[in-house]
Amino acid sequence: MLRYVAARTGGAAAVLAAITLFVAFAIRLTGDPAAALFEGAGAPSTEDIRRIQHAFGTDRPFLAQYAAFVGHALRGNLGTSFRSGQPVVALIGERAQATLLLALGGMVVALVVAFPLGIYAATHRNALSDFLIRVGSLLGLSFPNFWLGIMLILILAVRVRWFPPSGYSGPASLVLPCGTLGIILASTLVRLVRASLVDTLGQQYIRTARAKGLRERTVVVRHGLRNALLPVVTFVGLQFGALLGGVIVLENVFAWPGIGQLALEAVSYRDYPVVQGVVVFALGVIIVNLLVDLSYGLLNPRVRVGS
Amino acid sequence: MKRGDTSKYTKGGYRMAMWRRWKARDGAVLAICVMLGALVAGGPVGAQQTAQSRGQSLVIVQGQDPQNWDPIATFLLSWGMVGCNVFDGLVDRGPDLVLRPGLATSWKWISKDVLQFKLRRGVTFHDGEPFNADAVKFTFDRLLGPEGAKGPQQGNYTSIDHAQIVDPYTVNLVMKTEDPVIITKLAGYGAMIVPPKYIQQHDSAYFGSHPVGTGPFKFVEYNKDDHLTLAANQNYWNGAPRLAAVTYRFVPEVSTRVAELQAGRADIAQGVPVSQATVVKNDPNLVLLPVGSPTVIEVRFDPSKPPADDIRFRKAVIAAIDVQTIIQTILQGYGHRVSTFQSPLSFGNDPALKPYPYDPQQAKQLLAEAGTKAGTEVILSFPSNNADFREAAQAMASYLQAVGLKLTLQPIEQVTYFSDTLPHAKTGPIYEFGWGGWTLDFDNTAYLLYHKGEYWNPVFSDAQVEQYLTAERTTNDQKARLKAFSALDRRLYDLAIDFPLW
Repeated sequence: MLRYVAARTGGAAAVLAAITLFVAFAIRLTGDPAAALFEGAGAPSTEDIRRIQHAFGTDRPFLAQYAAFVGHALRGNLGTSFRSGQPVVALIGERAQATLLLALGGMVVALVVAFPLGIYAATHRNALSDFLIRVGSLLGLSFPNFWLGIMLILILAVRVRWFPPSGYSGPASLVLPCGTLGIILASTLVRLVRASLVDTLGQQYIRTARAKGLRERTVVVRHGLRNALLPVVTFVGLQFGALLGGVIVLENVFAWPGIGQLALEAVSYRDYPVVQGVVVFALGVIIVNLLVDLSYGLLNPRVRVGS
Repeated sequence: MKRGDTSKYTKGGYRMAMWRRWKARDGAVLAICVMLGALVAGGPVGAQQTAQSRGQSLVIVQGQDPQNWDPIATFLLSWGMVGCNVFDGLVDRGPDLVLRPGLATSWKWISKDVLQFKLRRGVTFHDGEPFNADAVKFTFDRLLGPEGAKGPQQGNYTSIDHAQIVDPYTVNLVMKTEDPVIITKLAGYGAMIVPPKYIQQHDSAYFGSHPVGTGPFKFVEYNKDDHLTLAANQNYWNGAPRLAAVTYRFVPEVSTRVAELQAGRADIAQGVPVSQATVVKNDPNLVLLPVGSPTVIEVRFDPSKPPADDIRFRKAVIAAIDVQTIIQTILQGYGHRVSTFQSPLSFGNDPALKPYPYDPQQAKQLLAEAGTKAGTEVILSFPSNNADFREAAQAMASYLQAVGLKLTLQPIEQVTYFSDTLPHAKTGPIYEFGWGGWTLDFDNTAYLLYHKGEYWNPVFSDAQVEQYLTAERTTNDQKARLKAFSALDRRLYDLAIDFPLW
């Protein structure tokens, strides 16, 4: 078991190190945070640049900077933002809630929309309603998320004034960003639910269930949907990680104060500590995966043997 | 708020108006939309709050959250627009753009190196801390010390050696070097006076997100990337504002900013680009205020790269492009031509110099004289986020094609452009540059862009230009400076080292 834990932990640490090293290196190739501080009304002199580089420590060799970052990160300190002067951990903490809320809300909308439509399309295969649902999902897949977001703002916020166009100011402000995200996600999900359920409903055991005289609803929901859910749940799980990346654009459109905006601004201003901190936060996925892997080993001894 | 109703601005609001007027003098591309709140119909739904229900509170949407409200930590215009309502300097720039007393009631040079300020009495910071000579000394010690070294403002004030307290309401700034622009610099950005005890009790990081000054509005609440709320400072030394509160909301996407206005949730949207001007203009509930800016956009030449090393080529490019038509069409008229790399607001601008005329025949002749072959490819580099310039550049390519040049557009990501491409002379022979000159004095622009070896001037050098720059920098005699600037303007114009556009 110890060997198993060591192997999994070592693997996760190597991935973390490789990705943070790459990001830290790559961001330093593309511009100087000292010069970025002068955006607006400023023009730096060469002395200004040297002075600020020294204050930020970016005049030191790259490996020294990276080693300092790792050393501090291991003690839970992700550094201080060049731009805001705030600790990176606090900046991420302030915004994580907004992003998670947006991602969860989007997922809820997607599930609420995709399941009824997917089930309806699967049980009315090749009917006009099935055709319309499939065309609708294709349209949803074709919309760029920022365009869809702006369209929803113009219709639901400007024309009919049902919801606020942007901001993070209460339940009503959740509707448009979560709706946009949900529609984009539901477009894929509805097709997956339909395809999976169509496949399941063609199985022998469904025929047997019908032959037993069960109600169609019981056949579809209890026997069909339950088995059709497996690939759908896998997809939803995988999408959740991708969702966190996808919210960057929507946070910008809806002025949503989340991790996405923080990351975008940090990259724009070459705020190295924040960029690196957001990457570490995102790599939390690796740590979750590591814990899941380790729990497999505890729960199922064959996994340990296999390793 | 009604269009043009600046009389309703309070002392605090006056500053916002000042900003508008400052911009309005030049008539370039920036714009402000003011919503006629009284005309907004329909009741609030969901979390919305219409202009009618906001009463004396103003909501302004702007594109950027500066992230740090500490005056020494930023150079962003988005800070300037808010910061002038929270902080005061020793000197203030009024709505007529003329310098006037701020926290100092008067100042004078008591010797060649010592500038003495008499301070205003009875002023307190928003937290109740008294304003006095200690606060002024603390402000400049902090600005010129290790704390200031981490920010972009210190470099503006390195001519000051130190601040010296004479008595509780008299302070001397002891100068290290001549700085004819120092008074102007004290009216903006890094020289805003900050509260010593408050910063010592907390720290700079806390101060950066909970600012305290002596200005007409005081800090209430700040949610990063969302909003900042200010309330009227009823004890403001120049009279309490009539507005009860101002909320700045940060909305990066311009379409959403305009939507906030259209939905009645905001009174003013800042930074509406030309592409959205028609949307605002056509909305009966909104008013579009085209306002100016000291910012000038130009095309610069890199004289180290052929064919831009030949003055005939440079003058040919200038003659080949009809800038006025580009302004009227692509910029929809929201811009004025300039003849040098400064706005008419700038001290040092020579109104006698007129832009080179559009003359494609002369351009062809000059290209022939320079030996530039037909079809010669020339690269124009520019920051990729400048959508208006990108469109203008496409028009420039057509004009240059008409005289036999092939212009290739090279958009470069903004920070890479300013921190790598420009300082290391990696642009094409032609490149875009935009500049504002916050001091409204040509020194700020001229020295950093024409003095040899500066960060954004790695290549150009000219003995006469150096002589004029030295002349304007080493005297406080403003007449002598104006004369030096006039000679500098003429020299740069003759060299055609850049092509000022609008």
